[in-house]
Amino acid sequence: MLRQISIDSLMPYFGVVVLIIVGSFFFPQILSADYLTQQLQIAAFLGLLATGATIVILLGHIDLSVPWILTGAAILSTALVGSGNPVLNVLAVPAALAFGACIGVVNGIGVAILRIPSMVWTLAVNSMLLGVAVLNTGGFNPKGESSTLMVTMASGDVLGLPISFLIWIAISIALALFLVRTPFGRYLRSIGFNEKATFLSGVSTPSVVFAAFAIAGMCSALGGVMLAGYANQAYQSMGDPFLLPTIAAVVIGGTSILGGRGGLFGTIGGALFITLLTSILSVMQIDDAWRNIIFGVIILAMLLFQTLRKGATV
Amino acid sequence: MFDTKPPLLEMQGISMHFGPTKALDSVDFTCEPGEVHAVLGENGAGKSTLMKLIAGVLQPNHGVLRVDGKEVSLGSPKAALRLGLVCMFQELSLVPDLTVRENLLLGAPGAGLGWLNSEGLSKAQEVLNRIGGENIKMAARVADLTLPQRQQVEIAKAIMKKPRLLILDEATSALNASVVEKVFELVREERDAGTAVLFISHRFHEIEALADRVSIFRNGQRVATFMNGEHDYGEIIDLMVGQKIEELFPQKMPVLNDAEVVLEVLNFSWDTQVKDVSLSVRRGQIVGLGGLDGQGQAAFLMGLFGLLRKTDGMTSIAGTRIEIASPKAAKHQNVALAFIPEDRKTEGLILDQSIQENLELAALGRSDLDAGDAALYASSLEQLALKHGGFGLPVSSLSGGNQQKVVLSKWLALKPRCLLLADPTRGIDVKTKTQIYAILRQLADQGTAIVLLSTDYEELIQLCDETHVFFDGAVVASLSGDELTPQNIIAATLNMSAQVEADRA
Repeated sequence: MLRQISIDSLMPYFGVVVLIIVGSFFFPQILSADYLTQQLQIAAFLGLLATGATIVILLGHIDLSVPWILTGAAILSTALVGSGNPVLNVLAVPAALAFGACIGVVNGIGVAILRIPSMVWTLAVNSMLLGVAVLNTGGFNPKGESSTLMVTMASGDVLGLPISFLIWIAISIALALFLVRTPFGRYLRSIGFNEKATFLSGVSTPSVVFAAFAIAGMCSALGGVMLAGYANQAYQSMGDPFLLPTIAAVVIGGTSILGGRGGLFGTIGGALFITLLTSILSVMQIDDAWRNIIFGVIILAMLLFQTLRKGATV
Repeated sequence: MFDTKPPLLEMQGISMHFGPTKALDSVDFTCEPGEVHAVLGENGAGKSTLMKLIAGVLQPNHGVLRVDGKEVSLGSPKAALRLGLVCMFQELSLVPDLTVRENLLLGAPGAGLGWLNSEGLSKAQEVLNRIGGENIKMAARVADLTLPQRQQVEIAKAIMKKPRLLILDEATSALNASVVEKVFELVREERDAGTAVLFISHRFHEIEALADRVSIFRNGQRVATFMNGEHDYGEIIDLMVGQKIEELFPQKMPVLNDAEVVLEVLNFSWDTQVKDVSLSVRRGQIVGLGGLDGQGQAAFLMGLFGLLRKTDGMTSIAGTRIEIASPKAAKHQNVALAFIPEDRKTEGLILDQSIQENLELAALGRSDLDAGDAALYASSLEQLALKHGGFGLPVSSLSGGNQQKVVLSKWLALKPRCLLLADPTRGIDVKTKTQIYAILRQLADQGTAIVLLSTDYEELIQLCDETHVFFDGAVVASLSGDELTPQNIIAATLNMSAQVEADRA
């Protein structure tokens, strides 16, 4: 775990501190506990997606099916709850997770067996999921509602901390330990650096790819379930705004988009940073256009800083 | 010297350090037009650094470089190229996803911004034809070429730049004897036309055949320069190593005919590339695989390790028949095969990961081993004398020879019953070679079956107890004992087996 804490992965945390300090000059209410815990709660949704994305990016691949795994899981779980059947109500969350894992395995098959670049394959899967969802709902917002469990997961709190945040951190810690303590984690990074050499070392690389995409699918599905709990409904395209911020959170957290290097510790910081930045920009009374420009410039500046720092040490 | 003409290249008091390590320590070096100047030294002696300085890839910390007597500073490869200093690097510099034609045009004179100039291509094609690369298609993707073919393209690419000084850094390391001879003819022609050639090779017979002058480097210093032939083989090795190496190859032990058979392969075939190959390895034996490139010997090794689909034939280890579908199955303790692949940088190692992580990668999947146990690797690392600055450093920080030691130790940790090696000493210095030879011999004596594919026929003769020569997918000659001579091996690689039979009679 400690090995994961590099300067790269600490960067977004510095960024968070700077944002809070600078932001508090303009809006003193940023320093209030209410505002900050709300940010933690919202960051958890992006964070869960980014957790799964980190696993896939470490592998040297990318998962662009995040938005519609998320939406699909939300639709599925709210529909099951909405059916009114108490058994289906209980099954809603596990079924959504299983759905995410299944789509993850489908992604894995395309990438590891059919050897289609993940960027294309997962994009196609995303598009097909969209189609299935539209066929299923006729293009209208799906009917259904969230269960108490889903609402609690998204909006409840324990000892002043949002439950969504606790779930996110617990899953991050569990996965981080899994990556460090098991051969799976080692294989994941090794494949990210050099798949051929890893395979020739007697590693069943396809099963590692399957597992990684399945974990990512489950993370996206969990994010969807919790977002549905947060909004108390599922709606078309609810995942679409999350795709690029998810990838940005991973990369800002110091994980190399080329695979192999990085970890979940940085991703937590990345998700916090992006959530906070979005929130502060939206409370500022400025044009939407400027908000987008500033968002892009700050993200670029963070990445540029990392690149320049690396250039200096080589 | 009556000749007052300044040398083509003169280096004076050149020093280069990377942090605390001195790669070159006030070196003087000259190269005359119309000579082939061989540069010899162990890995890490400073040869590659010297070449990179000449090619403008690195800039020296101290010292002066003169071309035609005029002081120059080579700030970039382009600056060196403008002066006619062309380098063909040991690390292949082709772009894998481009075609042969596109690669040849990259950096060709006049290419840059503007229209691509295809004039040089005919020259390149001509060069390729001359060095046995006539079947390399200009439209082929470089990634689809074999390693030797890529080297041939590299050579053509260097020659078409019309060099005044041509650096061949391990240019022939993957090529076979007959192709090497063709390359040498070409180099001699260039030399006679006034080109200076700097030649780096680890194969002594190549240097003997080609060089006019020889310079020897050791620990960043030039320790000797002399005309080719002034010192014999043994003296050169002593100069390189700085101490006497008694024997390059370990003593062969007589193998008893009734020694148990460790590995037996019967009627192994794959596609059209491997045809009906049978061989057996007895306890204490090292079995060599020779032949021109792409005659099926490499595919045969890969097939044994479970890398090919739909192979026919029967493999048994210690009398038990085994089926191997993947490397994972091959390394299982019930089979215990190990494979040292041809290209250590892309297939054997994960360069960005630490030495420790690389060592553990093969052992991790074995339920009977604890990959974190340092004792697994200690004995082989000690015997191979791995030079490193800490196991936590990336394996890319090691020299080529030391990288290969890591690959070997990674697999030896699994205590393989059968070790398959694809040209393990390619581009590796003499001292490391002797260490590898010694450990292979020792493993053989302890009962590991060793199958060694080699492009260096001295290894096939001196190290192997029996050598099978491949041609067009089949074994055309199996030589052992007194039959193991350079003539017989070369004849067999060209499938002049009738001659071998005649010699035997």
